[in-house]
Amino acid sequence: MKLGIVIKMLFATLVFSLVSGLSQAEDKKDRLVLTGSSTVAPLLSEIAKRYEKKHPGVRIDVQTGGSTRGVNDARNGMADIGMASRAPKDSERSLKFFTIARDGIAIILHKSNPVKSLSDDQIRKIYAGEITNWKDLPGGLDEKIIVVNKADGRSTLELFLKYYKLKSDQIKPHVVIGDNQQGIKTVSVNPHSIGYVSIGSAYYQVKQGIAPLKLLPMGNVVASMDTVARGKYPLSRPLNIVTKTQPQGLVKDFISFAMSGEVHDIIEEQYFVPINR
Amino acid sequence: MSEQAVRLERGSHYDLDNLATFIAWSGFIVVVLIFVWILGEILVNGISVISWEFLTESPGNAGRSGGILPILVSTGVIVFICLAFALPMGVATAVYLNEYTLKDSRFAKFINISIDVLAAIPSIIYGLFGFVFFNNVLGFGFSLLSGGLTLACMVLPFVIRASIDGLKAVPDAYRESSTALAMSKSASLFYVIIPSAMPGIIAGFLLGIGRALAETAALLFTSGYVDRMPSGVMDSGRALSIHVYDLAMNVSGGDANAYGSAFVLIVVLLVVNSMAIYIGNKIQRRQLR
Repeated sequence: MKLGIVIKMLFATLVFSLVSGLSQAEDKKDRLVLTGSSTVAPLLSEIAKRYEKKHPGVRIDVQTGGSTRGVNDARNGMADIGMASRAPKDSERSLKFFTIARDGIAIILHKSNPVKSLSDDQIRKIYAGEITNWKDLPGGLDEKIIVVNKADGRSTLELFLKYYKLKSDQIKPHVVIGDNQQGIKTVSVNPHSIGYVSIGSAYYQVKQGIAPLKLLPMGNVVASMDTVARGKYPLSRPLNIVTKTQPQGLVKDFISFAMSGEVHDIIEEQYFVPINR
Repeated sequence: MSEQAVRLERGSHYDLDNLATFIAWSGFIVVVLIFVWILGEILVNGISVISWEFLTESPGNAGRSGGILPILVSTGVIVFICLAFALPMGVATAVYLNEYTLKDSRFAKFINISIDVLAAIPSIIYGLFGFVFFNNVLGFGFSLLSGGLTLACMVLPFVIRASIDGLKAVPDAYRESSTALAMSKSASLFYVIIPSAMPGIIAGFLLGIGRALAETAALLFTSGYVDRMPSGVMDSGRALSIHVYDLAMNVSGGDANAYGSAFVLIVVLLVVNSMAIYIGNKIQRRQLR
C-alpha cells in the first residue's frame, strides 16, 4: 500500500537525520559554549567574532538566559564559560570569576541646573514621585522636575532599580526613553529634567562639550570612566565571565583575549567601561 | 393598525438597527486602527533601514550595524522544521479524532482535553521542556533542530484544532457518497475529505507559522542566540523575533535595526499568509474537480 511506503520513508529520513545529527554534535573540539547574562551576551558575541576571525576553525557560541543561569551552567558543565552581570555571591566563591568590563550609570542633569549633588535618598524620592519640585532640593530653582526613565526591560533600568531599591511600577516618569542617546537628547533639551544613562555614552559627550549636561557625583565619587573602571563608583557593576576551574587551553586563551587591550574598542562600542591593566 | 403606528414601530426598529450598526462599526474601526497603528509605527520607523545590504549581510556591532541574513536563514529553517513535524502529525491526529473515533468515546475525550491543556501552556514552559528534552536528553544542544521541534510541540494543538474544524465542515454527504462509490477509506480520505477540509488545514498552517515566527521565549532556550550563518540543523541560530527583542532590550542604540527587523518579520508573515491562502485555494479546486 502506497501510504505504508510513505510512512516508512518518513521514518527512515527521521532516523537518518537524527543519527547524522548526533554524530555531527560529537565533533566539538574547537568549540566553546558561553551562556548567561543578556547584558553581557552582546559584548561577548562581538568579542567572540573577533576571536574567531583571528583563529579560523574555532567556533564560539554565545547563548543567553540570565546571570544565575550563566553561573549554574558554568558550574555543572553545561557551558564552558558563564556570563554574569554581577559580583559573585557567597555560594559561588569556589568558581573562578574574571571581570572583563564594568557597566556604570550616570545620573544626568542639564548643565544650567544649579543643583550640585543629590543623595541616594533624594534621587529615590524624585523617582518615586515624593519630591516633584527642584526648590525642595539644596540649591534648586522653583521648577517642576521632569523625570526621565528608561523603558522596561533595559539592563540599565535593572541596575538603577536595584541600586535604589525601587520597583518598576513605583516610578512615575514624565518621559520614557529607549536608548542612551535618546536619554542624553531628552535631558539636553529639558533644563529641569533628571535622567540616567550608561556612563560610557554620556562621559565623552559631556567631556567634549557636545551635550549641555553634567554627571552627578555619587556620594563623594565623581562619575567618570576611571572611577567606574577602578570599581570606586557605587552605581556600577562588574561584567564577569565565570569558569568552574582554573581555565586551560582554548578557554584560557579566549579569556585572556577578552581581558586584553585588543577588545577595548568593542567594549566601548557597547557603552561599557574597559578595565585598564 | 394606523399608518402612524406603523411608522412609529418602524422608527424604533430603525433606532435599534442604527445602534447595532454603530456598535459593529466602532468595533471594526478600533480593530483596524490598532492594526494600522502598529503597522504604521513599524513601517515608518523600519523602512529607512531596509536595503539590499540589510537583507544580505551579517549583523555587526551586536546588531547595530550590518544586516540580518543569517537570522533570516535560521528563522526559515526553524519554521520549516517546525511545520515539517507539526503539520503531518496535526492533520493525522485530527483525521483520527474526526474520522476514526466516536466523538463521545472516552479516549477521544481524553485526547481532546489533552489538546486544550497543551494549547493553554505558556510558551516559556515549552522552551524549558525543549531545553531539557531536545537539548539535553537527546543531546541536540543549542540547535535549529531543537528549536524547530520545540515549536512543533507548541504549535501542534493549534494545528489539530484548526484541522478538526476543517474536517467537521466537510458535509457527511461527501463521506456517504464516496462509500457509495466503493472508494476505500484511505482513498476517500486523500481524494475527498482532506482536500475538502483544506481551508481548516490552511488555517492551522497559518496559525502554526504565525506562532512559530512570533516565538521568542521558547527559542531562546533551544535554538539560541548565535547570529552566525548556520551550516546545518545542528547549529545554533538566532530567530528574527529574538533578534528584535535583543536589539530593543539589550543593545542600546539598536532601535533602528530592531524596527528594520520587525518590518521584515511582518512582511514575511504577510507574504507567507497570502501564499498559503492562494495555494490552499488551488489545491482545493484541483482535488475536487
